[in-house]
Amino acid sequence: MLDQTVYLWRRVFRNIRQSPVLCSAAIGTVAVALTILTFFALIVVNVQLLASHWSEDIQVVAYLDNAPQPTRLKEWRMLIEDMPEVDRVSYVDSEEAMRRFSTRLGPDSDLLEGFDAEILPASLEISFKAEHRSRKAAEAVVARLKQNPDFSEFSYGQDWLERFESFLDMLRIGGGVLGAFLLFAALFIVGNTIKLTLYARRDELEIMSLVGATSLFIKTPFLLEGALHGAMGALIALGGSFALFQIFLQRGLASLLLVSGGGKVVFLAWDQQLLLIATGIILGLIGSLLSLRKFVRI
Amino acid sequence: MIQLYNVCKSYQKDSSSALHNLNLKIPKGDFVYITGPSGAGKSTLLKLLYCAEKPNRGQILVNGQNITRMGSRHIPYLRRRTGIVFQDFKLLENRTLFENVAFPLEIQGKKRYEISNKVYQALKHVGLHGKLHKYPLQLSGGEQQRVAIARALVIDPLILLADEPTGNLDIDVTLDIFDLFKGANARGTTVLLATHNREMIRRFPRRVIALDQGQLVEDFTP
Repeated sequence: MLDQTVYLWRRVFRNIRQSPVLCSAAIGTVAVALTILTFFALIVVNVQLLASHWSEDIQVVAYLDNAPQPTRLKEWRMLIEDMPEVDRVSYVDSEEAMRRFSTRLGPDSDLLEGFDAEILPASLEISFKAEHRSRKAAEAVVARLKQNPDFSEFSYGQDWLERFESFLDMLRIGGGVLGAFLLFAALFIVGNTIKLTLYARRDELEIMSLVGATSLFIKTPFLLEGALHGAMGALIALGGSFALFQIFLQRGLASLLLVSGGGKVVFLAWDQQLLLIATGIILGLIGSLLSLRKFVRI
Repeated sequence: MIQLYNVCKSYQKDSSSALHNLNLKIPKGDFVYITGPSGAGKSTLLKLLYCAEKPNRGQILVNGQNITRMGSRHIPYLRRRTGIVFQDFKLLENRTLFENVAFPLEIQGKKRYEISNKVYQALKHVGLHGKLHKYPLQLSGGEQQRVAIARALVIDPLILLADEPTGNLDIDVTLDIFDLFKGANARGTTVLLATHNREMIRRFPRRVIALDQGQLVEDFTP
């Protein structure tokens, strides 16, 4: 068993030594394809992070006709906080509402002089749990609250939420389609490059088959070679995309996030980096397998 | 050793048959020439015997085994008992003579010391043991064919199939190559040799199977 494993790996490295140009082409193809894929994935991941940051702002404001008694208020808060979508409920009385309004007006706040705070209604601000920050959840909560006649009006940025959800959907679908397209293109290019390497060795494949090599014996070193090319290409892609990340995304996206009050621009996490290497290996394996089907016929 | 019953083979549905209703029996240890003009079906017959092609009709038995019903998983094991020699040698140019001859043994998973020993003996037998580490392109055509024969014989085959093995070689080299086939036959290997070379058949008379347009036209021993 050990002898056979050593023999297979010796054949892999001999193949690589004997066709360095074709091997470099295969590795280079995987590297370029995965670098492009990773670069776009980084853009999508960071914009999604930005979107999730924005989604923290999703909340329902329920305006009250009259300021409630403390016991009543406690009752309502408990009732609303028990809803599965709700994370937090805060009460904003008329004074607080006036203070906020005044702050928002800034230098023009003197316009409010002479007005009583009572002109602004008290309200309950209802924030959502991360997994329920959506228009659907907001509408569900509002529908339940509408049954209580004490709540006169609701505001939850309906238009903004609609646009925000369309943007998220577009990002998800666009990212998915682009990712699938790039992956398919990468597989096609990698498969064809490996086909070229196999074409260069078609004599060896024919002779192996004529002297009694089994299909598995013929294919295994080429599959290992494909996986090795994929892994090496993925490692180069990791380095390449990190360089692109430093040069373009750190500056470009960071300024966008700064303007929109978002967080930091992030590179791939450890598990995502491992996933990239696994993708490279799988690309190399599938590329080899598809090409071998054409060349190895016993 | 080899039996063919009503074997038909055509490469395209509407084209004429490469082999038509062929019946043959070749006993163990026989030496048989397969002759005939180009397109007679000589190479097709050999291809059927090492399962590079399947017949459209009929049955082929090799060493008691019906190879027409053989699944592709079992074909490599049939080839491990069959030595094959081609006109164009089919050697790996980027491997030394030693590596070329060792190839079938490596595939069979033989131990390294056994491989070294057998390869050396096989190359010694064809007179090339002094050129173990040369590459095929550093040798003459006759020497390359001797390497191909050493590769075919190193596995101690039950059957040796040779398709025009001396087609590109001059007469002196051809004589040497024929000596190697005779030697293998003397050690018990059944030899089937497809050739145009009437001079060889005259010099080494053995059973002749003559094909023409896929049909058996003569089967005689001079």
